[in-house]
Amino acid sequence: MTAKTTAAGVPYDVQGEMSDSERRDAAMRGFVREFGAVAAAHLESCVRCGMCAEACHFYISTGEPAYTPINKLQPFEQAYHRHAGPFAPIYRLLGIVPSVTIETLEEWERLIFDACTLCGRCTLACPMGIDIADLIKKARHGMFKAGLVPDRLQLMDRTARAWGSPATPADDFADIIRDTGEQFGVTMNIDLEKADYLLTVAPAELTDHTKALADAAKVFNKAGLSWTYHTEGFEASNIGYLNGDIDLQETMTRKIIDTAVRIGAHTLVLPECGHAYGAARWEAGRWYGDKLPVRIIHMTEFLQEVVASRKIKLNRVGQSASFHDPCQLVRRGGVMQAPRDVLKALGFEIKELENHGALSWCCGGGGGVVSNSRADPIRYKAFELKQREVDAAGADRFVTACGQCRITLTLGAKHFKWDRKVENLLELVADNLAD
Amino acid sequence: MTLLDFARGPALQAALIIFVLGAVWRIVGALTAPWRLVPANPREGALSPAVAALKGVFVKMWPHKPFQQAGLFTFVNGYVFHFGLAIVVLLFTPHILFIKGLTGLNWPGLPSNLIYMVAVITGASLIAGLVHRLRSPVLQLISRNDDYLSWLLTFLPVVTGLLATSHLGARYETLLALHILSICAFLIWFPFGKLMHAFLFVFSRGMTGVRMGQRGAEL
Amino acid sequence: MQRSQTLGEILDSRGVSRRAFLKYASYVSALMALPAGSAAAMAEGLAAARRQSVIWLSFQECTGCTESLTRSFSPTLESLIFDFISLDYHHTLQAASGEAAEKARETAMAENKGKYIVVVDGAVSTKDGGLYSTIAGVANVDMLRASVKDALAVIAVGTCAAFGGIPKARPNPTGAAPVDEIVTDKPVINIPGCPPIPEAMAGVISYLVSFGKLPELDDLRRPKAFFGETIHDRCYRRPFYERGLFADGFDDAGARQGYCLYKVGCKGPVTYNSCATLKWNGGVSFPIQSGHGCLGCSEPDFWDQGGFYRPLSTSLRDLGPALAGAAVAGAALGAGAAWASRRHQAAYVKEQAASEGGKK
Repeated sequence: MTAKTTAAGVPYDVQGEMSDSERRDAAMRGFVREFGAVAAAHLESCVRCGMCAEACHFYISTGEPAYTPINKLQPFEQAYHRHAGPFAPIYRLLGIVPSVTIETLEEWERLIFDACTLCGRCTLACPMGIDIADLIKKARHGMFKAGLVPDRLQLMDRTARAWGSPATPADDFADIIRDTGEQFGVTMNIDLEKADYLLTVAPAELTDHTKALADAAKVFNKAGLSWTYHTEGFEASNIGYLNGDIDLQETMTRKIIDTAVRIGAHTLVLPECGHAYGAARWEAGRWYGDKLPVRIIHMTEFLQEVVASRKIKLNRVGQSASFHDPCQLVRRGGVMQAPRDVLKALGFEIKELENHGALSWCCGGGGGVVSNSRADPIRYKAFELKQREVDAAGADRFVTACGQCRITLTLGAKHFKWDRKVENLLELVADNLAD
Repeated sequence: MTLLDFARGPALQAALIIFVLGAVWRIVGALTAPWRLVPANPREGALSPAVAALKGVFVKMWPHKPFQQAGLFTFVNGYVFHFGLAIVVLLFTPHILFIKGLTGLNWPGLPSNLIYMVAVITGASLIAGLVHRLRSPVLQLISRNDDYLSWLLTFLPVVTGLLATSHLGARYETLLALHILSICAFLIWFPFGKLMHAFLFVFSRGMTGVRMGQRGAEL
Repeated sequence: MQRSQTLGEILDSRGVSRRAFLKYASYVSALMALPAGSAAAMAEGLAAARRQSVIWLSFQECTGCTESLTRSFSPTLESLIFDFISLDYHHTLQAASGEAAEKARETAMAENKGKYIVVVDGAVSTKDGGLYSTIAGVANVDMLRASVKDALAVIAVGTCAAFGGIPKARPNPTGAAPVDEIVTDKPVINIPGCPPIPEAMAGVISYLVSFGKLPELDDLRRPKAFFGETIHDRCYRRPFYERGLFADGFDDAGARQGYCLYKVGCKGPVTYNSCATLKWNGGVSFPIQSGHGCLGCSEPDFWDQGGFYRPLSTSLRDLGPALAGAAVAGAALGAGAAWASRRHQAAYVKEQAASEGGKK
C-alpha cells in the first residue's frame, strides 16, 4: 500500500504489485464485467444537463464542479463506450474512444471513493432516471481489481477477509456478547442451535457502542422471541459492498444468510446499519436469486413490527425529535415510514428536517467515506448542510437508525463543537420499554 | 439536379436510412446485452415491474422539490424547447405532410403564423440553453463535443426553417433545400450522439423505476 | 410591306392610332415594371424601330407555345406583335413549305446578318447526332447551330426550349437538351412555362425591339420582370396557408372553400412565374384559381418532381422498403454488436481469471 499523488497533485493510493498497464487492464476488465443492458440504458441516456450536481452534498457544500456525480463516472463511461457499447467495435477499430489511461484512473480514485457516499440523491435528481449511485458502485468493482482503493478501505477489506469482521476476530465475538450481557445485565443468546431470529451486528457495536448489542437483546427478550447471535454469521456490515470487492461481498452475505438457514431462522435481522441493508436485503439476490431463503429485515423494520403487534410497549417520552434518514435504509431501501412509526410510538412529536425522507441529505460518511480519513475535509463540509437543517428544525432530540450515520454525525458535531447528541432509534426503544 | 431536388431526393433518403439503421442498431445493441440486473426479492406490496417502470417514466417528468430551485432554468428551459420542437415538428402542416409521406399518419396542423412564433421561442430557448452551458462551471466540465454538435444540429433546422418561411437571405427554394439538408444532418447525427435520449430515456427511467419500485422506494 | 419602313409608319398606314400604340407600350412597360417614362421611351423606340427579323425554330415541342402566343386574349396584342416583327420562318404559321420554306430562313439570315433574332420552342435532341428530330433532313441541333451563327440573340420560349421540358423528362430517350446548352456564344433569354404566359413573350420581344438590349435576367436567364417572384408569394390563397387552412382533396370542404392547395401538391412556393398576377385568358383565371395546384411548369425538371400531387415538403422518393431494410439491418448490426461485446467481455474476464490464477 502506497500513498501517491498525481502530477496535478491529486492524492491516490495503490495496492498490490502491478505495472501501470497491468493495473489499467485490471480496472478495465473489472469495469467490463459490469456492462449489461441496465448499465447500457443508463450510460447511453445522459444529456449532460448537470442536474445531478444540484443533488450532491459534496458539490453543493464545496461548489467544486468535479464533484458533479456524472463526472465521477467518466472513466467507467469511457470504458463502456470502448468495450461494450453498441458501437464499441467501430470505436475500437477507428480509435474514436481511446483506452482509459492509468493517470485518469488514479485521478478518479478520489472521485469514485472519497467524493461519493453512494447515497443515490443524484439518482432522484436525474431527469433521465440514470441510477448514478449504482453505476459508481459498479465502477468501484473495477477500481478494486486494479488496486486503486483508498488505503483505509483496503485495510478494512483485509481485516474483514481475515477476521470475518473489520472490527474484531470472529473468535472473540462470543466473548464480547457475554461480556456485554454481564455489563448491562441483559440475558444474551449466543450460538443457539435453533432460533426463529438470527440477530446480526455492525462493527461499531463490537467496539465503542456495545450497548447496542445489549439494547437489541433487551427488546428481543421483552418481546419474548426465539433469537440468537451466532459466531458463524454475525457481521452484517459488508465491507465488500462498499469497496467494490465483490468476492468479499459474497462471502459476507453468504455467512449470515447461510447461518440463518442452518439454525432454522425465519428472519434475519440486520443491525442499525444502512449498507448492511443494501447489501443483504437488495443484493443477496446476486447469489440467491429473487427468492431469498430467509426473510431479511432491518432493525428498524423489526422495531416497527414488535411495536405494531404490541409485543413490546413503550413509555412516551413526550418531546420533539428530528430523524436523519439513512440513505441506504430510506432513499435506496424504501423504509421510510417504519422509523417514524416507532418515534410516534415513543410519543415524540416529529419535526422533519427541510430535506427528509427520500430526499434527505446524506450524513456525508456513507459508502466508506467516514472510514477514509483522506475525505475528512469534504465530509465536514457536507456535515454542515445537515447541521443547518437540524438547527432550523429545532427539535429536542436528533435520532437516526444507522451506526455509520451516527458515527459520522457525531464526528461532525465534535469537529464543529456542535452541542447536539445523535441517538439511535434502537437505543431509544430499549431505554423506554414499558412493563 | 437542383439543390432542392438533391435535398428532397438522395440526401433525405440517405439521412433517413442512416437514422433508422443507426437508431435501431444502438437500441438493439444496448438492450440485447446481458441484463445484469441484480435480482431482488421484492418488498411485500411492491409495485409490479411493469407498473414500476411506467411510474419511473412518468414521475421523472417533474423534478423533486429540493431540485426545483437550483435546476429551475435547466428544467423549465428544457421543457420550453422540447415542447417548442414538438409543436413545430408535429403541428406544422408541411411537416405533417412529410411524416404522412413516410408513415401514412395524418392529423390537423396549427396555423403557420403560430408555428413561426413557437419556432422563434424555441430558437431563443436553445440559445439560452447554450449560453447556460457555456457559463456554468459544472456544464463546462461535463460537456463534450457531442453536446455542442447536437445543439447545433438541433438549432440549424429551426433557424433555416424560419429563414425559409420568411424568405430571408436567399431564394425560397434554396432556403427550403438548406432547411431539408439541415434536417438531414440532424438525422444522420441523431443515432450517434446524445439526441438518442429521445428513445433511450424510456429504458433508463424504466429500469430505475423497476429497481426502486421493488424496494418500495421513491423515484 | 417594306422592310425599310419604321414600325410607326407601318402601323400608321394600317390605321392603328397613336393612342392605341401608346396604350400598348404603357401596358408592356407596366407589366415589366419598368420605371415611369419608359412607356414613352418604349413607344418612341418601337415607332422608330425597323421590323425585327425573327426566325422561329420549332423542335421537340407540342406547338402549345405557339398556340399560347397566337391565341392570346388580345387581338391587338397578337397583331401588334406580329406587326413588330417580320416572322421570316415558322413552320406552323408560314405559308411556304418544303424547300421554299428552308430557303426563306436562309435568305432572312443572310439579309439580316448579325441583327436577326432566333426564337426556339421545343427541346433539342442531341443523342445519336440528333437524328430523333429532323427538319428537311437536318437534325434540329445542326439547324440550331447554323441558325444562331449570325443572330443577335436567342429566345428560348417554353420550358422545353428553356430547360429541356417534357422531352428531357426521365428517361430522356432522345438526349433532349435545352437551348442554352447548345448555344453558348450568343445571349439566350429563357421564357419558360408550359406554355409561357403570352404577355411574357410579347413583353420580352417588345423590349428587345424597342431598346435593342436584353431585359434583366435571373440566374436561369429568365426575365426578372416576369419570373422574379413565386406563385406562392402572390397567390390570393396565401392567407389560408398562413392560417393553416388546407384542402385535403379536390372535392372536400376545404377545396370548396377555396383553401390553400399545398397539401394536394401545389408547387407555388418554388415556382417563379407571373400566373398569380397576370393570369391567363385576359386575366380570367389561373390554375390555382381554378382549383388545381401549381404544377411548377416553368421550373426546370418539373416533370420529375415525384408527381404533381406529392406535397412539396415530402421526400421525393418512396422510402418504405429502404427504411424497413434499414431497420432490419440496424437490428442485425445491433444484435451483432451486442454479441461481439459479449465475446469481448467474456474474453476480458477470462484473461483476468487466467492472470489472477497465474499469480496465485
